[in-house]
Parts: sequence; structure tokens; C-alpha cells
Amino acid sequence: MLNNLRSKFLTPWTVWLGVMGIILLSGAISGIMVFWKGLGITNLTDRVPWGLWITIDLSSIALGAGAFSLCAGVYLFGLKRFQPIARTATFVGLIGYTMATLALILDIGKPERFWHSMIYWNVHSLLWEVTMCVILYLTVLLLEAMPIIANLEWLRKRLPRIAAMMEHVHHYAPILAIIGLGLSSLHQSSLGATYGVIKARPFWFKPEMSVLFMFSAIVGGISLTLFATMLSARLTRKAKINDVLIERVAQFVGYLLIGYFYFRAWDALATTYTYDPGRSEGLHFLTKGPFAFNFWIVEMLFGMIVPMILLLYKPTRINRFSRMLALFLVAVGVVAFRWDTNITGQLVLMPYIADQAITYTNYRPSLIEILAGAAIIAYGCTAFSLGVKYLRVVDHTLIEEEHEKVHVKVTEPATL
Amino acid sequence: MAKQNINRREFLKLTAVGVAVAAGTHAVSTKASSGAPKGKHQWAMVIDQSKCTGCNYCTLACQAHNDVNPEIQWNKVLEDGKVGDMQVYVPRPCMHCEKAPCVEVCPVKASYYRDDGIVMMDYDRCIGCRYCQIACPYNARSFNWEKFTGDNPAVPEWGNPEVERRPRGVPEKCSFCYQRIDRGLSLGLIPGVDADATPACVVICPTGARMFGDLNDPESNVSKALHENPSYRLRENLGTGPRVYYIPAVPAKEA
Repeated sequence: MLNNLRSKFLTPWTVWLGVMGIILLSGAISGIMVFWKGLGITNLTDRVPWGLWITIDLSSIALGAGAFSLCAGVYLFGLKRFQPIARTATFVGLIGYTMATLALILDIGKPERFWHSMIYWNVHSLLWEVTMCVILYLTVLLLEAMPIIANLEWLRKRLPRIAAMMEHVHHYAPILAIIGLGLSSLHQSSLGATYGVIKARPFWFKPEMSVLFMFSAIVGGISLTLFATMLSARLTRKAKINDVLIERVAQFVGYLLIGYFYFRAWDALATTYTYDPGRSEGLHFLTKGPFAFNFWIVEMLFGMIVPMILLLYKPTRINRFSRMLALFLVAVGVVAFRWDTNITGQLVLMPYIADQAITYTNYRPSLIEILAGAAIIAYGCTAFSLGVKYLRVVDHTLIEEEHEKVHVKVTEPATL
Repeated sequence: MAKQNINRREFLKLTAVGVAVAAGTHAVSTKASSGAPKGKHQWAMVIDQSKCTGCNYCTLACQAHNDVNPEIQWNKVLEDGKVGDMQVYVPRPCMHCEKAPCVEVCPVKASYYRDDGIVMMDYDRCIGCRYCQIACPYNARSFNWEKFTGDNPAVPEWGNPEVERRPRGVPEKCSFCYQRIDRGLSLGLIPGVDADATPACVVICPTGARMFGDLNDPESNVSKALHENPSYRLRENLGTGPRVYYIPAVPAKEA
């Protein structure tokens, strides 16, 4: 009897949901604590006002970038056969952007005023631009995800007309892809510029920040989508994949990594040539100080060089395990890049009195920050797994309707 | 298919035109609102470092008049090396920059310029994102991590509150005691001359190290002091154009 029950309820799926549920619950409690008690219970300070949650926000937006890049590839550059991967990417993007929204709501001091950025525009502010783009792009993602959500069995059975309408949104995929490409190009790079325009902090103050953020987001976003796809295929029969497609895109990621590596290395090396108080200290902090492991090992070695080799060398690319590993490492490397950039820039304190030495501060997230942050990530994982199970998010056999064919009227051939 | 391609191209063209128009309007509006508008008055503060003894009265008076949490200092007195045997101090209020990074970066225009040069905060509009804190080169902003409840230890010894306490979840900073300036002007007083119209830190200073006044008025004490003495501003190289000037304790102190 007991064994029966155990085998019935103790499936890997229920264990997974149970674990995620616990993390979500503890995060929800932490979140309520933050709204109730305020940000005083975090380890954020006036010197380090942007911490773990901002890093999660930056990372989930970056790793959601697979959506716009793959949709652009499929619907604008005509790489139609990758459409099933773009579907997965769209769903990952939707999750990523909602995660970012959750992190931001937690992080701002006045969450009940989040809508102010839509009413009171400061067009000079990078953060305003990012907020507007994220809100608009979240709308685009929701529309793009309509045909995916329409796959819900319940919806199909109970509300077939609504499901059909949702599926119909697919006809607008090319237009949505254009809007998505525009909005993403704007805010992905503007997130870098958010740091890049801060003159008070020389470590951030450089134009290449926007390009680096944009580039790393594309690399990391595609990688995470592919990794999530392959992982689901390993874990459940619900996920049906066409490995050839994944392998091709993975190879593309390999090439992208060369560009990303070149650019990030060039960025760091170029910094050494411009002694600017604060900038060199920041670089020192990053390459020799407390962030050296993150920078050299997590970002450079395992985030770029190793996956670059694994994805460009055919045998390791064909091998599913090493390919998956490589894709995972790329995503981790991009998260490390966001964390290192955000935190390093704040830990180096610029003196405002002439001749005074540069000082340093430190930051370690509090338990509340970690629990709430973990819950945001757990939400993402849970949502994706539910998508795989119920919405055929990873299903390369699913062929969606062709988007609108334009009927060209037959006219008389012109006679000259 | 051919038709669709043309449509797509036209769509892209339209998008490009749209972006260009948006960029154009942006450029125009940037020009129109870059930096603080210049009104009738241009308030500025001059701090004479040779007179400052680091007594912190300014900080306390500020905390009382603006009802500031004792954990927060709008005006912070910092040590700055020695001249001979004398310890030199740098009192640091908000610089009320002419091109204030905090105003430029605020996503909701909660930080803004008044036409008299004061950089103000709209505490009811602020969403608490703290980008202004990240951007401020002078650490002049403090976030209300907690709600300030209970008694203000600086009251009434150092003065009485003249403004509302700020809520939890927004950053706050020195406002050049705008409430004293505005009320003073409406009563026909002259800020910088009449104590009731002058920032509390300037009024309390026992050594007269702080001066306040209108840069548009060549006869004001600040205009005169800047005319007669060498002066510098903090992190001048950033081009923020602070309205707080320092007269160094020794001449030729590097800015």
C-alpha cells in the first residue's frame, strides 16, 4: 500500500515540483518581508545600492536574448528551419523578462510606484529607456508566446475559439520579430550604457559597455535556450528534438564566442593602457583582486575559451554531453560578466576630495536577498518545466502554420 | 511573395524613418534641457576651508531643520590633510550641479533642476531605483533604507523641522534649504544676508566659514568672495559644474 502510494506520488516530476515549491515558498516569504520591512533588511548600502537582485535582473534579461536573436534569424533572415528553436527561445525569453520584472519590483524602494516610469518620462535616462523597452518587449513576447500557450490541452478543449485566436497571432510573427529586434537592440545595449554613461565611476565609463552587453546577451541567450532544450530532451519524452538543428546553432554560438572573446579581452586589455584613477583600480580588482577567479576562470576560461573549443571542434560538438556542457558554461559566463561588472564598479570608491586615495568597500548578499533571488530563479525553472510538459515548448516535430501568405493578384503580364 | 518582400522593405523603411524622427526630437529636446535652466537667481555656496574647524554644527543644524535621520548626513564634514599643524576639513553638502548626473539619469524625473539652480527631489514621484546614487560623483545621496521614526535627537537643540520627513524607499539629499529661501524671498528677505532666508548650515557656522548667495548678483557675498579669492570645486574634471565652491586653506590647492 505504502509502496504503491510512494510510486504513485514520488515520481521525479513531483520531487522536482516539491523542491521548487520549497524554494518558491521561502522566496515568497522573503519577498513579503522585503515589502513589509523595506530594503533595510538587505545588505545593500549607500555605497553598494545595486546588488544581487540587479545582477539577477541583468542576467535574466541577457539570457532571455535568445528570443529576439533567434526570432530575427527565423523570420527576418529566412532561416525557417530553426523555427522550433525560436519557439523555445521565445518561451525562455518570456520567462527571463518576467524574472527581471520580479527582481526589479523587489529591488526598487517604492514598488507601488513602478508605473511612474510609464507616466513621467525622462528621455535622458538610460534606465527610463530600458524600462519602457522592457515593458513593450514583454508585450511583444506575450504576443509571440500566444501560439505556444494555445497548446495547453485544457484551453484547446474548453475554449477552442480562443485557442485558435491565440494561434492566429503566429501570422504576425515577422512583424513581431522586427519590433522585438528593434526593442531588444535598444534595451540590451542600453543596459550596458546604464553603466557606461556613469562618469563618476571610471571603471564603467566607456562606450563599449553597450556593445559588450548586447553581444554577450546574444551569445548567452542562444546558449541557454539550446541548453534548456537539450536538458529537457534528456529528462522527458515530452521534449522532442531534432539534434541536427541544435548542433548547427551550437556551431554558430561557437563562432560568436570568438567575437565575444576577442571583444571582452580587448576591452580588458585596452583598459590597462589608460591610467585613469578608479579605472585601473577596477581592472586590478577584476583581474588580480577578489574577482580574479570569476574573471579568469568563470568568464574567460570556462565561459568562452573552453566552450569555444567544444563547440567548434566537431567530435565534441556532436557529442551531446560536451555540447550541453559547453552551452551551460557560456550562460554561466555571461551571468558572471554581469555580476563582476555590476559589483566591481561599486566596490571601488572614488574620492571626491582631490589627492585622497581610492578606497574599497564590500558587499555580500544577505540571506533574504539570496532566498528571494533563488526563488526568482526557481520560478524560471518551474515555468520552463511546466512549459515543456504542458505547452510543447520543446517540440521540434510540431509544425506551426505558415505565417500569412500574401495573395498576389494575377494581373495581365505587361506588354511592351 | 514578391509583394510581401516589398511590404517588409517598406516596413523597415518606415521603421528607419520613425527612428530618425525619434532621434531628431530627442536631439532637440536634449539641447533644450541640457543642464539647469538659468533663472533670475543662481544660488551658490562658498566654503572657506581656512575657517572651518570641523565642529560639525552644520551637520547637526541641517539634521534638525530638515528633520534628517541621525544615520544620514546631508552635509558631511570630512577630513582633508593638514596645512602646517592645522587640520583641514571639507564639508560636503549636495553640489547642486549645473549638469547634475542624478537629474540626467533619473528614469522618472524625480530629480530636477529649479531655475535658481537648486537640484530638487520630488519624493512623491521617486520609485527608489537608486540610479541617482550610482551616478552621483559626490556620494551626496542617502537612501532611506528604513523609515525614520521616533525623535530627532538634533531637535530642538539645533533647530526645528521645517520640512516633512521622507518616506522609506527613496533617496534624499541636501536641498540648499529651499524652504528657507522660498519663504524668505516671499517675505522680502535676501538669502545669504538675512538668516531666516539662508540655509541652516550657513547660519549656524560659528566661524563664518560658509557663505551663501546669488551668483547673478555681483554684489553678493559669494560673488565677492569668489572674485577676491582663489577657489576650486570638487571633481571639477567631470564637468558637472558644482555650485559649491571651496576657498582652499592654502593657495594653489589642486582642484
